[in-house]
Amino acid sequence: MSDELDEIQAIFFEECAEGLTTAEQGLSAMQAGDVSAEVIAGVFRAVHSIKGGAGAFGHADLTAFAHKFENVLDEVRGGKIPPSPGVVKVMLSAFDILTDHVESAKGLAPRPADEAALAALEQVLANKGADDGAPAAAPAPAPVAVEAPAAPAAEEADEFGFVPMAVSLDDFDAPAEAPAADASWIVTFKPSRAALANAGEPLLIIRELETLGAEILAVDTETVPPLRELDPEDAYFTWTLRVPGEVAEGDINDCFDFVAPDSVVEVRRDEAPAPAAAAPAADTGADEFGFVPVSAPIEDFAAEMQRVVETIAAASPPVSSVETPAIAPKAGGDAAQQTIRVDLGKLDLLLNLVGELVIRNSILADRLSPADRQRVELPELARLTRQIQDNVMSLRAQPIKQAFSRVPRMLRDLSVETGKTINLETYGETTEVDKGVIEKIGDPLTHMIRNAADHGLESAEERIAAGKDPAGTIKLSAEQRGARIFVRVQDNGRGINRERVKAKAIEKGIISPDAVLSNEEIDQLICAPGFSTAETISNISGRGVGMDVVRSNVEALGGRVEIHSVPGEGTTFTMILPLTLAILDGMIVRLAGQRFVLPLAHVLETVQPEAGQVKRTSPDSEVIDMRGEYVPVKRATEIFGLNDDRAVEDSLVVIVESEAHGKVGLVVDTIDDRREVVIKSLDQNLHPIRGLGGATILGDGSIALILDIEALVASTNRYTPKGMAA
Amino acid sequence: MTDTNDNAGTDRKIVTFSLAQQTFGIDMRALIEIREWDEPTPLPNVPGFIKGVTNLRGNVIPVVGLAERLGWEPSVIHARSCVLVVNIAGKQAGFLVDEVNDIVAIGETEIQPAPEVETIEPSVIAGLVRIATRQKDGTRDEKGTMVLLLDLDALSLTKHLDLAA
Repeated sequence: MSDELDEIQAIFFEECAEGLTTAEQGLSAMQAGDVSAEVIAGVFRAVHSIKGGAGAFGHADLTAFAHKFENVLDEVRGGKIPPSPGVVKVMLSAFDILTDHVESAKGLAPRPADEAALAALEQVLANKGADDGAPAAAPAPAPVAVEAPAAPAAEEADEFGFVPMAVSLDDFDAPAEAPAADASWIVTFKPSRAALANAGEPLLIIRELETLGAEILAVDTETVPPLRELDPEDAYFTWTLRVPGEVAEGDINDCFDFVAPDSVVEVRRDEAPAPAAAAPAADTGADEFGFVPVSAPIEDFAAEMQRVVETIAAASPPVSSVETPAIAPKAGGDAAQQTIRVDLGKLDLLLNLVGELVIRNSILADRLSPADRQRVELPELARLTRQIQDNVMSLRAQPIKQAFSRVPRMLRDLSVETGKTINLETYGETTEVDKGVIEKIGDPLTHMIRNAADHGLESAEERIAAGKDPAGTIKLSAEQRGARIFVRVQDNGRGINRERVKAKAIEKGIISPDAVLSNEEIDQLICAPGFSTAETISNISGRGVGMDVVRSNVEALGGRVEIHSVPGEGTTFTMILPLTLAILDGMIVRLAGQRFVLPLAHVLETVQPEAGQVKRTSPDSEVIDMRGEYVPVKRATEIFGLNDDRAVEDSLVVIVESEAHGKVGLVVDTIDDRREVVIKSLDQNLHPIRGLGGATILGDGSIALILDIEALVASTNRYTPKGMAA
Repeated sequence: MTDTNDNAGTDRKIVTFSLAQQTFGIDMRALIEIREWDEPTPLPNVPGFIKGVTNLRGNVIPVVGLAERLGWEPSVIHARSCVLVVNIAGKQAGFLVDEVNDIVAIGETEIQPAPEVETIEPSVIAGLVRIATRQKDGTRDEKGTMVLLLDLDALSLTKHLDLAA
């Protein structure tokens, strides 16, 4: 039982995470100046549904805070509070606290100190109402200092020349003090067709409204289909109810907290105070109309329908009089997306199975005779397998936005801790990357951002002295290039102080004092284990583990980190990552007889060198003449310490394009095949090995190692320390 | 000492195997399977005791020359050479051994600590235990044999490779 509850609660927290992401994106957009109604409504809905769920699970602190936040958002949404930068700032801080509250509700964090944020929200609620107030403000029913929970002012109050302001529910409850309150509420409620299936029992909502003194004015049965087509499990009616004017709008809306998505709820003030006599004495009938028992015999139901129709005819005011523009659909769902939640484990299992299928497929192909291989069934099977594989891969592809979403919050915190004003610009958030990659770049990204904020950007004073904008900027971008994803963190700060880095590296014994290093090599020292130049160990970075962790994490993913720094202008860290961790289009080559996989994405062309086409430029380096262009040549056999006496004229040179070193020729014995291979990481059971991107299992069950082109071409010297095993 | 293995708290089972004329033992619980020797795919840039990687039902696992790893002369591959596939802290690895001998039950109390000077890495040997060995005619050799119990966690490849890399 409690397991079930935990499960439901887990879904709630998942929804919270989604809601928080939506809210944060919306707030960031507002901060950037997009204060359109959809953006504001999006944030409102996100916070509202968090509140609703929190209430259901009894997270009182979270509910209370979300409620207050929602009130402010509601006012902003209604145009009562302008979404000025100041207000957005308060809301962003409130959002951070809301995030903390969610963590606290999960039991992962202590209850956050939300007093300051609450007070700030209060102030927004109170001040903005007063600031916008017309001179002829009606006597305020309540002073601005309000105890929680404050209800948002009535939506339609303007029509009465009423000044919106935050008032406490207590005051609303006192009818005498609410001048316009005698105009009663007209509530229109049209549950979605699927309301009953979603446990959104309309009767319960109608009953709850009745406890507020609501009475049913009309039931619209126009959408009820002929009996033959009627599905007893669908909801067809639209109710119009009158709620006494002294009831707070918030209380009415609260009744609709848990309606099914796509339900229509309208709450408005009646145009004219309703004559007391106009209310039909429908109370007795309300329950019957409110609920259509699914088990009811059809005859009874038909009779019921007849009565409903009669009641409608007698009812006043007619339904048409309540057709006012919707204020806002209360229930969160816009057009419900056709999506389902799937456990990631199942997806991973599917991916593994498809990987095995691909391998079996090639084993099958290997076993068949060449003639059989050409028959239509096998290519068809291969094509289908590939399609399944592509689709499973696309299931795992997620926008990198997920990894970026935590950055704004982090920067706000960093901004407070460092006292620096930091602007964030993000690009390419929609770039899709394998879920596994997204999960694993979180930590490196965090370190890189912290590093940029703490070390990269100068203080405002320093920036002004250097003639720069006092606010620093961090650009976060992602783009796909071929089979690689580039994730950049770029700051416009001081750049790497190479003198200091070098001095520190010597001091820490990372390099010898007489080492001669290029600028790039000095920059790379930042990633050396145990390196940190921070004068004082700060809270943020400076323990000398950050960039080291970045490099090892990224390399473990089969990627690498590049650093580009211009003194006085800033530093760019680039993570270059594989698009997927699972499948690779490769060329099967032989090196000293052993099979290796060369990622096809890097391959430009293959040549069989003629005598004299490959020339030595030093005892350890060679170039190949490619139509007049001299391209450096690397011998992977030498790099790997494999014995190979083959003359270069008997070999093939594969020209590859590397990110860091441009075109490079790799000498291989032969090319066996071209095929898609399933990448098996070496570190799953061993350890990542430099020069290798992993391994794969070939059709005959044997293993071929996957070459890491970038690491191979970057190796200027032979790898000789241990040589080849066995 | 005759009945040492038959009574007195037979808490665990070990697999015994020979390597460099010694008898070693590992805990049964860590053993996944025993396979025939099959030349693994060699790896570049790894310590010499890592023979390469092999395919274990779709998993790529390293194969370790246990003799070299423990500082003995490398094993010579022969017909009875085999690979013990073990699980060390969630990672799988194959150990090349000269011959698998037996599965025996031992009592925790029978294990004696190994003298620190015996191996290059003292921590690799978890302890010493005497077992009665089975003769070819099925009778027991009453003198028994000393078994070197290996501490698999200390043999963890990732740990060692981190240092070696």
